[in-house]
Amino acid sequence: MFKLADLWRTTTVRLTATFVLIFVLFSVLLLGIISYQSSIQIQRQQTADIDREVAAIVQVDKNRGFRATIIAVDRLSRMPGPGIYFLGDPTGQRIVGNVETLPPEAITAPGVYSFDYDKSQPFGEDGGPRNKGNAVVRSVALDSGLLLVVGRDVVERRGYTAIIIQSFVIGVVGILVFSIIAGLFTAFRVLRRIDTINGTATKIMSGNLSERVPITGRKDEFDGLATSLNAMLDRIEQLMVGLKEVTDNVAHDLKTPLTRLRNKAENALRDTADPTSRTEALETTIAESDKLIRTFNALLLIARVEAGTPSGALTDLDLTTVVADVAELYLPVAEEEGLTLTTEIAEGVRHRGNRELLGQAVVNLVENALKYARVGDRPGHIVVGLQLAGERTLISVADNGPGIPEADRARVIERFVRLDESRSEAGSGLGLSLVAAVARLHRGELRLEDNAPGVRAVIDLPVD
Amino acid sequence: MKILLIEDDREAASYLIQALDEVGHVTHHATDGETGYAMASGMDYDVLIVDRMLPRRDGLSIVESLRAEGDQSPVLILSALGEVDDRVTGLRAGGDDYLVKPYAFTELLARIEVLARRSSPAEAATSYDVGGLRLDRLSRKVERDGETIILQPREFRLLEYLMRNAGKVVTRTMLLENVWDYHFDPQTNVIDVHMSRLRGKIDKGHANPLLHTIRGAGYMIRV
Repeated sequence: MFKLADLWRTTTVRLTATFVLIFVLFSVLLLGIISYQSSIQIQRQQTADIDREVAAIVQVDKNRGFRATIIAVDRLSRMPGPGIYFLGDPTGQRIVGNVETLPPEAITAPGVYSFDYDKSQPFGEDGGPRNKGNAVVRSVALDSGLLLVVGRDVVERRGYTAIIIQSFVIGVVGILVFSIIAGLFTAFRVLRRIDTINGTATKIMSGNLSERVPITGRKDEFDGLATSLNAMLDRIEQLMVGLKEVTDNVAHDLKTPLTRLRNKAENALRDTADPTSRTEALETTIAESDKLIRTFNALLLIARVEAGTPSGALTDLDLTTVVADVAELYLPVAEEEGLTLTTEIAEGVRHRGNRELLGQAVVNLVENALKYARVGDRPGHIVVGLQLAGERTLISVADNGPGIPEADRARVIERFVRLDESRSEAGSGLGLSLVAAVARLHRGELRLEDNAPGVRAVIDLPVD
Repeated sequence: MKILLIEDDREAASYLIQALDEVGHVTHHATDGETGYAMASGMDYDVLIVDRMLPRRDGLSIVESLRAEGDQSPVLILSALGEVDDRVTGLRAGGDDYLVKPYAFTELLARIEVLARRSSPAEAATSYDVGGLRLDRLSRKVERDGETIILQPREFRLLEYLMRNAGKVVTRTMLLENVWDYHFDPQTNVIDVHMSRLRGKIDKGHANPLLHTIRGAGYMIRV
C-alpha cells in the first residue's frame, strides 16, 4: 500500500496542484480586472447621472426661476436612493437638500468634490433617507445666484465591488476544494491500478507465471500497458514451457541413443574374439554418434533461429529459385522411391529472407513427404508449390500419404514429437520444429492442412 | 603434403596429427594464435588448418593478416560455430573452406586434399579429361570415347566438380556445398541418388568405370 507522503511524489497530485495554483492566479487577475473595470464604469455612470440632473436643474432655474428650482431640488432630496442634493444661498446657507454640511471649497468654487456626508439629520418634517457615507458631488452656481450641489453616494459602488470579491472568494475556495478532491481521487485511482500491476509482478516473480494483470475494459493507457505486459508474459510463459519441454525431451531423446552408444562400445570391448564384429561395432558407434551430433546441431539451429538471427542474415532473394532448387534436388530421390514429384511454382517470386534456412525448411518438408507419401499400393505423389495469394506468400509441400489426425497437427510441430511411436523411420523429430521456427523468423507460420488424403504443409509468409 | 595445424586442444591435435601422418602428410603444430601466425609467415605450407577460437590471437585475424601480406596458402577454418553467418564471416576473412566441429576425419582429409590441389595451376583448365571422359567447360559438352553424353545443368556442375578434383575423394557434404550451395545435412541419401544417375550416364556400357564410391568417405573420379 501507499502512504500519504508518497502521494506528493505522484505525478497526478503534482499536476493537480500546479493547475490549481495557475487557476487561482488567473482568477485573481481576472477579478482585479473585472472589479477595476466595473468600478470605473459605475463611476462614469454616476458622473453622467449627476451631470444630467445638474443640467436639468440649471434649465429649470433658467426658465422657471428660483422658486421652481427650490421645489424641484426639495422633491429630489426627499426621494429614497443614493442621491445627495443641496441648494443654498450664495453664502452657502442651506435652503433645501438632504445634507447639512458641505466641504467649504464646494461653496466658494464650483467643481467636483468628494466628501463624507451625513444624512442623519432629517430635513423637513417627513425627512429623507437617513444615513452617513462618502459621496462625490458637483457644485454649480445657478443663474438665480443660488448654489446647487448634486452628488451620489459612492458607498453603493464599493458595495458592488465587495459583492464581486465575495463571490470570487467563494468560487475560488470551491474550485480549490473540488480540484484537490478530484486530484486526490484520480491519484488514488491511478496509484491503485499501478499497485495492481505491481502486485501481479510480485506474484509472478515469486513463481506463479500464469498470473496476469487485470484489464478493466476502459481501453485507457493502463489497459494498453496491461495488454502489452500480458502479451509479454504469455511469450515468457510459452518460452518457459518450451524450455521445460525441451529439457525433458533432451533427457529422453539424447540419453537413449547415448546409452545405446555406451552399451555398444562396452560390448565391443568385451568381444575380443572376433575382429570383424569389433570393427562393425565401432562403425555403428560412429554412425550413432553422427546421428547424435545431427540432433544436437538441429536443436542448436532451432534455438538460434527462435532467438532470431541478426537481420543482416535476411536478404532479398529469389524464392522461386530456392523452392525450385529443392524440388530439383529431390526429384530423382522421389523417382527412385517410386513416387512422383511435381511442382506448381509461381515465377519470379521474391521475398526477404535467409536462403539457407528457407531452403532447409523446404528440404525438411520434402523429406517428410518422401517418408510418408506412400500408403500400400497407392502411387505416392508429392506436389511442391509456391504461390502468391493476396498479401501472403505460400510455400507448400503436399503428399497423399496417411495424413496427420487433426488433433495431432499442432503437436507434431513441437520438438521431438513423432507420431510414429515405434520410431521405425529415421529422423530426430525436429524437422517440423525447425520449419516452424524458420517460418516465425520470417514473420510467418507453418500450417499443416488436410490434403484429403495426406498432408499439405504450408509455410505462410506475409508479403514484404 | 606439409600442413600447419593451429589448434589449442592438444588431444584433438595429437589425434589429427597421427591420422594425417598415417596417410602420409607432415604436420606442424602450434597451440596458440601468435605462434601459429609466426610459423605460417615463416614457412611455406601446402595447407593451413586454423581453429577459429585460439588463445592469444583468434584464427580469423591470423588469416586476415596472412592475406594482407599476400600469402595465398590455402586455409581450412575449423570452428564449433556452425551458423550460416559464422561461415560467411570465416570465408570473408580469407578462409578457403570452413569445417564445423565435430567432424569426421575423412571429411577433413578430403577437404584439405582438394584445397591443396586448388593452389596448383590445374584450376584454370578449360577442359578436363579423365580416361577418355572429356568435359569442356566452355562449350559445356561432355563426351566419353568420342560419344556425346547429354547432361542436365546440375549434372554438368556435379561432373565438373568431380573432374576438377579427379583422383581426390570428395565427400557428400562437399558436393552439396559446392554443387548445390547448401550447408546442411539432408537426412535422406539424396546425393547418392544423384551420383547413381550420373554414373548411369557416364559409366553405363563401359568396361572400366570412372566414378567410384569410396566407402565411408564419398566419391572419386579416376581411371
